[in-house]
Amino acid sequence: MHIPDAFIPIPQGVIYWIIALVFVALALRWAKNEMSEEKIPLIAVLAAGIFALQSFNLPVSMGTSGHLVGGALAAIVLGSPFAAVFILTLVLIVQGVLFGDGGITTMGANILNMGVLGGFVGFYSFKGMMGITKNMNISIFTAAWLACFIPALAAAVEMFFAGTFPLIEGLIAMGVYHALIGIIEGLVTVIAIRLIIKARPDIVDIRDPPMKGVNV
Amino acid sequence: MIEEIFHIEKHTYKDSFIHRLDARVKIILAFAVIIAVVAVPYSTIVYTVGIIFFVFFTGLWILSRLSPVVYLRRLGEIIPLWGIVIFFQIFLKNKYYTEYHAILTLPFGIAIYSESVTFAFILLVKFIISISFIILLSSTTKIQDMLEGATRLGLPADFALVLGMMIRYLFVFGYIYRKMTESLVTRCFDAFDRKLPYRYRIRQLGYTIGTMFIRAYEQGERVYISMLCRGYGRNSYLFVKKKHLKTGDLAFLSVSMMVVIAIPVIVWLAPLRLI
Repeated sequence: MHIPDAFIPIPQGVIYWIIALVFVALALRWAKNEMSEEKIPLIAVLAAGIFALQSFNLPVSMGTSGHLVGGALAAIVLGSPFAAVFILTLVLIVQGVLFGDGGITTMGANILNMGVLGGFVGFYSFKGMMGITKNMNISIFTAAWLACFIPALAAAVEMFFAGTFPLIEGLIAMGVYHALIGIIEGLVTVIAIRLIIKARPDIVDIRDPPMKGVNV
Repeated sequence: MIEEIFHIEKHTYKDSFIHRLDARVKIILAFAVIIAVVAVPYSTIVYTVGIIFFVFFTGLWILSRLSPVVYLRRLGEIIPLWGIVIFFQIFLKNKYYTEYHAILTLPFGIAIYSESVTFAFILLVKFIISISFIILLSSTTKIQDMLEGATRLGLPADFALVLGMMIRYLFVFGYIYRKMTESLVTRCFDAFDRKLPYRYRIRQLGYTIGTMFIRAYEQGERVYISMLCRGYGRNSYLFVKKKHLKTGDLAFLSVSMMVVIAIPVIVWLAPLRLI
């Protein structure tokens, strides 16, 4: 899902950078106001942890593997989509500049897809599903699946606008692959959040009505 | 991926002319080359620009005294996924050509087009040049120097502080990741072992990832409290001393930037084609 350099022309890359920077600035403001400025180091260390947990390979099917994006996980546990924007921006900068995973001119698009879209889709679909189903497992699974699937479709659309991949083929290829990875991401996120709630209920910022599927 | 950070950082501790260059010079050079090569239109002039940039890169890599194996290994780790996407371009039509000529027709209406093959090579050249300069930058510049360089170039202080802390703890979590994967191996757990029930494998991975999250959060809490004890507060920021570029750094940057800007312009304006 990390679009590398060369797949998006410079003018379009600049537009994605500008949009991404607006959300990064909002995320920084969220961190200062909501987390209290002193707690920003905590988020920074957490970003390093999210980077590490992205390294675990997850078996998808037929020998293929994927890895957790973690946007939904961060947004749900910390109770804000801006948490995902903030953490994934840090992760994507390190991945792009140190590892060459993702690009420099395309970093804005990658932040927009995985950080902004992943975070907002993950967080608000979780809230919406909680309101409808009152079932935490279903809500987390749906949120994590959508937070994996929607950014992949967005990447396909961006490459279509760039003229580097046709729309239908791109949507099918990216959609099918990430729909499969999304199932694993959803399951793993459910198990991980349940574990976090049991081990450290104080850090999970969920202020919804009593939930089914979890016993805190 | 996180384990690679130890290998990458190890190479940055070697000594060479490129290693000794100011981080700002390497950051500007790498980003300038990437922007220049991406800015070249999707046409065959990319081949000439790409070849000249690759010769330039090879010269810099030789000056860095790093083994070509280091470069090839890192390139090999990055290329596969997007290499497949580039390969599939040969079957696809895109908006950059109006006419397509099939050079091979396959069953199910699939065809390989001459123009699509050209486009795939154009993407490949741009991709390899971009990645090569990122590899050069990260293999010859310590992460902390890169952060200080970025801060001196204007990275906002708030962001520099957070990014600096994240980078510092990447190594800690690299070790934690290694310990966790080793303990999974000692318990004969393999996420890809088909003899184990799939549900069991997913549950174990979920617990492992959840545990990593908690460890990261608790590490963050400890760091935060430790920082408070050392006087960290609302107005703290990462202090980076002002440092002027040395004459040698300035000269190298000036010449390099002239090369980076001149090559695409000359190739674009003059009928210079190496391929």
